[in-house]
Amino acid sequence: MRDLYSKYKVYLFTGVFLLVALIFYSLNLKNKEHANPLERGVMNFMTPVSRIVAAGNSLVTGIWSDYLNLVNVRRENKELRQSVTVLNSRMLENREALIANERLKKLLELKSSLQIPSLAVAVIGEDGSPWFKTLVIDRGEADGLAEGMPVVTVSGIVGRLVKVAANSSRVLLLTDHASGVAAVVQRSRARGVVKGKGGGLCSLEFALRDEDVKVGDTVITSGIGTVFPKGLPIGEVTMVKKGAYGIFQTVELRPAVTIAKLEEVLVLLQQRHD
Amino acid sequence: MIRFVKISFIVIAALLSQVTLFPGYLRDPFQPNLLIILVVYLVLRSTTRFGGPAAFSLGLLQDCFSGLYLGLNGFSFLCVYLLLDKISDRLYTNSRYLIILAVFLATIVSGMLNLLLLVIFSAANGIYTTLLPALLPQALVNALIASLIFSFPVFGVVEEGR
Repeated sequence: MRDLYSKYKVYLFTGVFLLVALIFYSLNLKNKEHANPLERGVMNFMTPVSRIVAAGNSLVTGIWSDYLNLVNVRRENKELRQSVTVLNSRMLENREALIANERLKKLLELKSSLQIPSLAVAVIGEDGSPWFKTLVIDRGEADGLAEGMPVVTVSGIVGRLVKVAANSSRVLLLTDHASGVAAVVQRSRARGVVKGKGGGLCSLEFALRDEDVKVGDTVITSGIGTVFPKGLPIGEVTMVKKGAYGIFQTVELRPAVTIAKLEEVLVLLQQRHD
Repeated sequence: MIRFVKISFIVIAALLSQVTLFPGYLRDPFQPNLLIILVVYLVLRSTTRFGGPAAFSLGLLQDCFSGLYLGLNGFSFLCVYLLLDKISDRLYTNSRYLIILAVFLATIVSGMLNLLLLVIFSAANGIYTTLLPALLPQALVNALIASLIFSFPVFGVVEEGR
């Protein structure tokens, strides 16, 4: 019996061990969702250790990933800066296109509302001297333009064409000292001639002293002189002065058009009949 | 030939800057007149024999993009050239400060000549109300630009033979 035991001892213990393990397993099947004391003990013991190891691990991982990030961050930063620049310029382009679209839409509305054929032109330059007020536009004789043609925008008149070349022309602005436009005060129908005064202002000359002109009145083209069609806005009265003597009153105007901000204008294709 | 191309390039660049570039960034009396600076350069630093015609041409070029009266600046630039040329022998033209002063005075003289001609020959009544207040700022701006331009070695050296 002893010999038999000695011979199969290993197998016996192994079998018993397996059986115990099986029984242990089968006994724990019922409590599969709850931790038994052994599990709890192990878990309680391991938790702080796990925490320390996990913290160490995350530290190492962090350092490693930070290092890797640092390697890439310069390149990535450069790329991001480039894309920010590209996006900013696109945004500006879009905004500019939107504004240009609005402007051109208004110009188109004016074009269709006018009875006279017209041509939209772009402003490409300004006068080289501070004491003359002219603009350079990008169309000329080749496009049917001629000296004397009126130039207008949605807000009102700008001036008239002078010195027309083949592919460019110059516009004598309303505010130039050499400019003169036959005008009428819209409210009282008082007549006069709007002359440029330089510095972005005009004056209504030859308005009789007895005529009714008030600050805030709108001055429009009278149609006399055949350069400008009747009824186009010229500007608004900003100052009226009646002296003690004299037959005329002094009337100052602010042009309806902001000349410093002109980008596109409309040339009315009508010939002057002198 | 290369010299001619260079000069043409400078003149065209100056004119384009004056007509298209400066108005976008600078307000009215503070836009420099580069062509009058070139006239002063022609008198005091250049050795060309065609200084007079060149100054007149520069004036005409200015007139093509300014005002209504072709020949107005042509005349005044030529006057400025002749005036400076008359006294240039007695001036120390190597001095940068003298050039700056010459540009300032040339602008004033040219502006006054413009005013005189306009008052006598044109129908632009009251132009003095615009011209006179703008003259001093423009002369100062021109002097400032001249001080920058003549600090460059290319323009800062008096050509041999003068």
